[in-house]
Amino acid sequence: MKSFTREKRFRTRSVAGTLALGEKIGEILLPAPKLVVLRGEVGAGKTTLVKGIAAFLGAATEEDVTSPTFTLVHEYVGPKVRIYHLDLYRLETERELATLGIEEMIAEPDALVLVEWGERFESLVSRMDAEIAMEHGEGDERNMMVRWG
Amino acid sequence: MRDDHDSSERKALGLKREGLILGIESSCDETAAAVVRGGSEALSNVVASQMNLHANYGGVVPELASREHLRNVVPVVRAAVEQAGIRLEDVDAVAVTEGPGLAGALLVGLTYAKALSFGLGKPLIGVNHLEGHIHAVLMEARQRAEAPMELPLLALVVSGGHTHLYLAEQKSEGVWSYRNVGRTVDDAAGEAYDKVAKLLGLGYPGGPWIDTLARHGNPLAVPFRFAKIKPRPHREGVSLPNKKAPAKLEEGEESFDFSFSGIKTAVLRYIETHHMRESIDARRRALAEHPDWRPGSDEAAALCDAETLDLIASFQHAVVGNLLRQAFGAAERYGARGIVVSGGVAANSELRRRFQSEADKRGLPVAFPSLALSTDNAAMIAAAAWPKFVSGDFAPETLAATPQLRLGGS
Repeated sequence: MKSFTREKRFRTRSVAGTLALGEKIGEILLPAPKLVVLRGEVGAGKTTLVKGIAAFLGAATEEDVTSPTFTLVHEYVGPKVRIYHLDLYRLETERELATLGIEEMIAEPDALVLVEWGERFESLVSRMDAEIAMEHGEGDERNMMVRWG
Repeated sequence: MRDDHDSSERKALGLKREGLILGIESSCDETAAAVVRGGSEALSNVVASQMNLHANYGGVVPELASREHLRNVVPVVRAAVEQAGIRLEDVDAVAVTEGPGLAGALLVGLTYAKALSFGLGKPLIGVNHLEGHIHAVLMEARQRAEAPMELPLLALVVSGGHTHLYLAEQKSEGVWSYRNVGRTVDDAAGEAYDKVAKLLGLGYPGGPWIDTLARHGNPLAVPFRFAKIKPRPHREGVSLPNKKAPAKLEEGEESFDFSFSGIKTAVLRYIETHHMRESIDARRRALAEHPDWRPGSDEAAALCDAETLDLIASFQHAVVGNLLRQAFGAAERYGARGIVVSGGVAANSELRRRFQSEADKRGLPVAFPSLALSTDNAAMIAAAAWPKFVSGDFAPETLAATPQLRLGGS
């Protein structure tokens, strides 16, 4: 398990709040390239946060960022970063993961690789640059912890 | 001029007698190949996961890997050609999915199609996967020799990876054009089915489980609501990311976009507040012990108490209702003369029943694909390639896989 030197907690009370956090968390994640694992159960707001980050970085509008659960990889190109949004929910084995070519993505100097359900794969956990853990609070509340460094 | 017209028509008729197109599809999980004559007659339609080489896995999803496509593409194409009763040299063009899809997966079909096209000296045609889904329905209508539906058509493409509404028209020389008038802003409808099924301890894919169990529950027991989605400005030429500039919208403009992320979270909430975790775990264990209990079996239904069945029925009722309202709303708004529904979710029985009944009420024709052509296949790719073949819209050698390929402007 990779250890981090820095961490920061966030709490939001709505989808709009999670989208707005894209700015603060986006700033933490820069500069590229970075490999980031987003963890949290179904409905925790992982894709919503990616929408916020992509909009903040000018790579896509919030509406353009959709769930990659089936399609596995979505790519959004902004002026300074190239966001790869991955979802490994349907993947079971490292062998399947290998065919997605995450190495090639990370090798690009402007890549911000955001991986949902990435914590299940040791090959990613051992080399990630940051981790965002998200959980349900009361009602629409969501708690997030970003760890990096 | 007149002579030119006649000769092009004669040419088109000549092509129609032959017009064998080999379609290849590898955009996501399925490797598929098919031979379609004249855009209307599927001589073969082969999907790797349904072939014998996968029989051992009994309907389990094929492995998600471009390596699998690589392993499958040659035997699948060979089977498609054999089953069509033709020789590879007989095909008049090779059509292939260029996107949207997974880059590595698309590349396998594309590279193979290019090599075939080059080797045979036959043109290559690039097809958008989403356009293929629409043409699956049109092809089958032609195959049944039905009168063609009047245009424009409103097409709902709804699957695990997509939920899109298109206004489809045929321009001069038979070329189709599409306008994207609605789409999901988060999860696809089929994805919501799969995730809710998993939350409830049911099997994968979730659609058949939920569809069959929903018949045993009360669809009005749990009220699910869909948030109104704010209409989007015209997508073309929107500068990013000026969040402060308000979207310019005409008064009363409605959105035909979808959002299925909220209902997934609402189901999770319901499970928690109604303390259903324990019974869900028991169900998951029971199904793991009895892989032979298929969707629709009495054993599967017996695993669900009334509360669970009501939740399932209510979920399906809400999702189908939302798809129906948006599709018929868009059809009315854009003056569509008919509706086609395609993609994996088009196999859902409640969706078919309610769409048919609403269409009858409105006097609009509605068409669905057969179950085999609902999910990903290559016959739809070969069918969608036909109008391009007739108009000579061939792909250059440089045709590349486009993972985020869109269909039509908005």
